[in-house]
Amino acid sequence: MKKYSILIVVLLLLASAVSIFAIAAKNYVIVGTTDKFTSLDPAKAYEYLSDNLLQNVMTGLVKYIPGTTKIVPSLAKNWEISSDGITYTFHLKKGLKFSNGDPINAQVFKFSIDRAISLKQNPSFLLADVVKDVKVINDTTFEIRLQYPFAPFINILAFPIAYPVDPKVYSANSVYNGLPVASGPYMVTKFVRGQEMELRRNPNYYGEPAKTPIILIKIYRAANNLYMALLNGEIDVAYRTFLPQQFKMIQKNKNFKAYAGKSPFIREVVFNVKIKPFDNPKVREALSYAVNRAKISSEVFSSLVSPLYTLVPDGMWGHESVMPKYDPSKTVSILKSLGYSKDNPLKITLWYTPSHYGSTEASLALTLKNVFESTGLIKCNIKYAEWATYVDYFTKGVMGMFLLGWYPDYFDPDDYMWPFLESKASPAMGSFYSNKTVDKLLLDARIVSDIPGRTALYDAVQKIMANEAPYIPLFQGQQQVATKPNIGGILLGPVQIFRYYLLYKK
Amino acid sequence: MKTYILTRVLLAIPMILIILTIVFVILRVLPGNPVLAMVGPKAPPQIVAAMEKEMGLDKPIIVQYGDYLLNIAHGNFGRSTLTSLPVIQELMQKFPATLELTIFAMIVAIFIGIFFGTYAAYYYGRTLDVVARVYSIFVYSFPVFWFGIMLQLIFGVWLHWLPVSGRSSPFMIPPHVYTGLYVIDSILNLDWPVFVDTIRHLILPSVTLGVVISSIFVRMVRSNVILSLSSQYVVASRARGVKEKKVLFSHALKNAMAPILTIMGLEFALLLAGAVLTETTFSWPGIGSYLISRIAYRDFPAIQGAIVFFAFFIAAVSILVDIINAWIDPRVRY
Repeated sequence: MKKYSILIVVLLLLASAVSIFAIAAKNYVIVGTTDKFTSLDPAKAYEYLSDNLLQNVMTGLVKYIPGTTKIVPSLAKNWEISSDGITYTFHLKKGLKFSNGDPINAQVFKFSIDRAISLKQNPSFLLADVVKDVKVINDTTFEIRLQYPFAPFINILAFPIAYPVDPKVYSANSVYNGLPVASGPYMVTKFVRGQEMELRRNPNYYGEPAKTPIILIKIYRAANNLYMALLNGEIDVAYRTFLPQQFKMIQKNKNFKAYAGKSPFIREVVFNVKIKPFDNPKVREALSYAVNRAKISSEVFSSLVSPLYTLVPDGMWGHESVMPKYDPSKTVSILKSLGYSKDNPLKITLWYTPSHYGSTEASLALTLKNVFESTGLIKCNIKYAEWATYVDYFTKGVMGMFLLGWYPDYFDPDDYMWPFLESKASPAMGSFYSNKTVDKLLLDARIVSDIPGRTALYDAVQKIMANEAPYIPLFQGQQQVATKPNIGGILLGPVQIFRYYLLYKK
Repeated sequence: MKTYILTRVLLAIPMILIILTIVFVILRVLPGNPVLAMVGPKAPPQIVAAMEKEMGLDKPIIVQYGDYLLNIAHGNFGRSTLTSLPVIQELMQKFPATLELTIFAMIVAIFIGIFFGTYAAYYYGRTLDVVARVYSIFVYSFPVFWFGIMLQLIFGVWLHWLPVSGRSSPFMIPPHVYTGLYVIDSILNLDWPVFVDTIRHLILPSVTLGVVISSIFVRMVRSNVILSLSSQYVVASRARGVKEKKVLFSHALKNAMAPILTIMGLEFALLLAGAVLTETTFSWPGIGSYLISRIAYRDFPAIQGAIVFFAFFIAAVSILVDIINAWIDPRVRY
């Protein structure tokens, strides 16, 4: 046994000696996350991490000034908009190059926009619904013509769907699965799906170089793994998503810095207005009176989220708190008028998915069930499905009442109204809501270009929404980042684009 | 011996066929359309139809089944719907991580099993024996992920001795990959920092998995050694004045090994199931993590491929163990 004890001691000594090698080098920052990538092709990317990553390795004609909602030129030098609001003429900066050295010119933009529309992937509608065609004028000038004047069009151009891709690498007819060819501050040098990604400075980026030469993104399966890795010092930055209790613990922990900021992320209950009993607006109204948002915020999210009474998030122009406030007595009186009683309760099924909105989702569903049932006139059943199946179910209209969330594609109330309430868009949200007046108001709000005029139109739409309640907005999320104390450059802006290129080690 | 090996291999075929059939049926009974999962709900119907045709999903189910068996027989596991890469290529990239974890867990389990089991048998009925028995019941009832999290908390978060996630630290991978097993590759590269880093990353996951499965070894070794300790050759060697340690390890344990080997083969299956949980707890980039992550994307070819791969692997190991067993103990062959 002596020999073995010596062996164990030697191994332990070796193990502790390795910390010499593990000294964190100044030229890289390790970021941990529980988010997942689906595709890094701008034509297909449509969930938070994929898009956020593209916003660091690619750039478009325009971009947001970090920390603000102000749009400034990026690859474009400047642009003109025709007086009818239909034609946008863009002039590109000179000498733009992709990370592989290929030029970025007007032809590249035409190819990229046409491709994004024709591939018909999830985010395609952002361009397909408004763009008529793209015309190249010369190497650095091109026109985008719209189907109708669309006030927030410039904002869409800051979203990855409109980013240029290299025609020599990306095929026009299929989604690209290789490493992205970069036009932004970083380029992807290594990508192991579900595991890690390595970003290095893009030498051909036109703008200010990224603060840190290398960013390593490590992907963790669950909040627990991320939390442990942070506490054990294996990552410098943890971004998305901790459990609420974990974030509270980090806030109290002196060895780490915790940042929290308002997020444009919203959560809502969706009703499929074609399915009984949710086809009755009175039933939806009764349910919306029963939702106790304060209880949800405190019990499920440790008060880290803020209650929301409309789809447009707080902090954005156009936001009006229109939905009914918590009043269970109103629920009871409406349900009684519809003939429901203690012996004949309203029977509903609430769906949630355990695999898309973090580990709090089951508690959220349970809390909602409890607040509904506490009225005494509702019997709520809970069901769940994995995310891929869930998407299948709601787009096919299988689920009558379910939980969903929304991140903005572009920072404008249109992105919180049109996809939810416009007749042709609402089936993709699983609601199938349709109202001609709302459609007209939404289209008008796209065409009108002054903000007071648009605010009035969105005000009208939100009032109709409150009356007909095809959705119950629940709360607005919070951006949370935890870092080691030697990390700087954390910026939690209103648009919630996490900027890896600003991170640095002190 | 040749006939024996041939029979064992032939017997494995129906087992694999049954597993292939179950996987095929289950994946087709599940709700949802894999094509929709690939192209998104807004894709036009003609694209969906074209994709279905390309993937052979428009054919009758029995033809699909035939194609599926034929493809697997040719080593073709299809292409991942998420990455469009051949599934077999992805599996081969992930497999070394799982294999490395499994081997080290097995070493931990055997080490604990043999020493604890043999000494428990030697001190039969005394304190050490009671401790060993309580240990195996206790450890057998541990959920793997719970035990893993406890080790992470103690040795990672509190003591900061060992890393809690991944196979290596940043930029600490062997410069040339020969086998994919980082321990061996780092030795072949003579890269000692990488070797130490790899071992440090291996300790917690392999101890977690190893300890959980060690319970069966402890009990098996203990009862077999108790039996052989009471046999006449032990009495004879003691009478000849052979040292106790030699009696215990060279005579009693050696003769007790045959049934233990069989159990080791069976344990490999349990070990792989445990590896799925251990890998997710320790963010270990092996086939277990791969399988779990692809379930979320409903990547059918990948899920199917990973399960079939596990099945082949377990079948191969059990054949190998049987052959070793037959070689050690000729009685097994008859």
